[in-house]
Amino acid sequence: MLIPFSVKNCFQLLCNHKVPAAGFKNTTKGGLMLQSISNDVYQNLAVEDWIHDHVNLEGKPILFFWKNSPCVVIGRHQNPWQECNLNLLREEGIKLARRRSGGGTVYHDMGNINLTFFTTKKKYDRMENLKLIVRALNAVQPQLDVQVTKRFDLLLDGQFKISGTASKIGRTTAYHHCTLLCSTDGTSLSSSLKSPYQGIKSNATTSIPSLVKNLLEKDPTLTCEVLMNAIATEYAAYHQIENHINLINPTDETLFPGINSKAKELQTWEWIYGKTPKFSINTTLNVLHEQSHLEIKVFIDIKNGRIEICNIEAPDHWLPLEICDKLNSSFIGSKFCPTETIMLTNILLRTCPENQELHSKWNILCEKIKGIM
Amino acid sequence: MALRMARSMLAAARSLHATPVLAVPNPPWPWPRPRLVRAGVIRALRMGRTLLSERTFTHKHEWITTKTDTGTVGISNFAQESLGDVVYCSLPEVGTKLKKQDEFGALESVKAASKLYSPLSGEVTEINEALAEIPGLVNKSCYEDSWLTKMTLSDPSELDDLMSEEAYEKYVKSTEE
Repeated sequence: MLIPFSVKNCFQLLCNHKVPAAGFKNTTKGGLMLQSISNDVYQNLAVEDWIHDHVNLEGKPILFFWKNSPCVVIGRHQNPWQECNLNLLREEGIKLARRRSGGGTVYHDMGNINLTFFTTKKKYDRMENLKLIVRALNAVQPQLDVQVTKRFDLLLDGQFKISGTASKIGRTTAYHHCTLLCSTDGTSLSSSLKSPYQGIKSNATTSIPSLVKNLLEKDPTLTCEVLMNAIATEYAAYHQIENHINLINPTDETLFPGINSKAKELQTWEWIYGKTPKFSINTTLNVLHEQSHLEIKVFIDIKNGRIEICNIEAPDHWLPLEICDKLNSSFIGSKFCPTETIMLTNILLRTCPENQELHSKWNILCEKIKGIM
Repeated sequence: MALRMARSMLAAARSLHATPVLAVPNPPWPWPRPRLVRAGVIRALRMGRTLLSERTFTHKHEWITTKTDTGTVGISNFAQESLGDVVYCSLPEVGTKLKKQDEFGALESVKAASKLYSPLSGEVTEINEALAEIPGLVNKSCYEDSWLTKMTLSDPSELDDLMSEEAYEKYVKSTEE
């Protein structure tokens, strides 16, 4: 279903933004600019989905500005275990989201600007959008050396990536979104995007790591606010529309009917982890127990985020074979997830003989297994 | 093959309780004379073409070839060129039931993630496992080695809505203008 972007909708938007009522007549002509008042990555991704599914963009492209509190966003066909440090994300309260567009993994925080260019499929042109951003940056700081690469990255001084791009093409509409590094926490970015997980074999699309830099480090006048306004000015000039950004609330069901269920879906385990392409883990866990060093072989096949094949092999002088067998068979079909593993292994432990030494070995094994999830 | 078709067309015509199209059981020509052809016979003719696995196309650039009630689905050369290098193929599970135009997967390329739409209604019976290892096969051999799925057809009459190769080429030219 395509909904023409009506003046009524536009007026509703304008209620959130201080413009004289006379201004709204020209706003929808040739395009629109929106900015989310939310910093929730799932709500903001839901806005993208909603506009992509419901808005007729013929002659009316949209530019959407959004920023998120700390999170990692993986591409549609990526493997989060390969792309980031999930244990760290959980410890630090950094959210993980899977977007619907392709491409690689990115770290977002309030120092990163996200830009989404919505157009019809025919007008989809990433180069045009990125050139617009470069013009905007040079309008603020003419000395800035920013180039668009063949991979549609933006490179500062020929070596530092300041923007990455991804896209989605649907029946009649398309969107191109990109990041812009302004003042992001570089330490958090590096540590979040460094995967500690070994032995993963997968056909998922992988990210290409790059050296990054914040624009603010290059020039202290390039704050998020300054950059957003510069890009908005350039977009308005290019599309001959009025230069104002409409604030939108992504949880407003009157403006975006059905959007909250989109946001909800994006937060489900089934979407974030369950959509990971089939992969296998083939690794060895090293255990130090009472001054002896042991190797536990692990072979797990995971499909739709769930364990299909499980072969955990501990030396049987350390842990009886039948206990490992019990563990392996009980894992089949369960989520590859520490929470579910804890639950499962606790239940199983109750069926093991009451033996302190055995229980302590069991706990060591389970902790190690949890560590790879 | 032609004689068998002629016989089946005769049977179809008779079942319409109309004057038989052909007075003799074994006509010397494979097709009835055009002015005597009735709607049901045209349908039988089209079904006959299906038996010969002619490739037909959708407006969304998917193609399908059919053999009796099974179809093989892929994307056209225009589609693979437009996509650019394919880096990932997301295909449905075997057993997935689809209605015509249902989204059944996606191709991620350097350009974007693009959805795939089912040309016909039916059930997925096979997916091309080679594409998991070599997604780029879609760019190299979109009509042969990189078929995407095979499916049973629940409503073969839907084939009537698809374009022949010639019509599709014309359609693509018109969209490029």
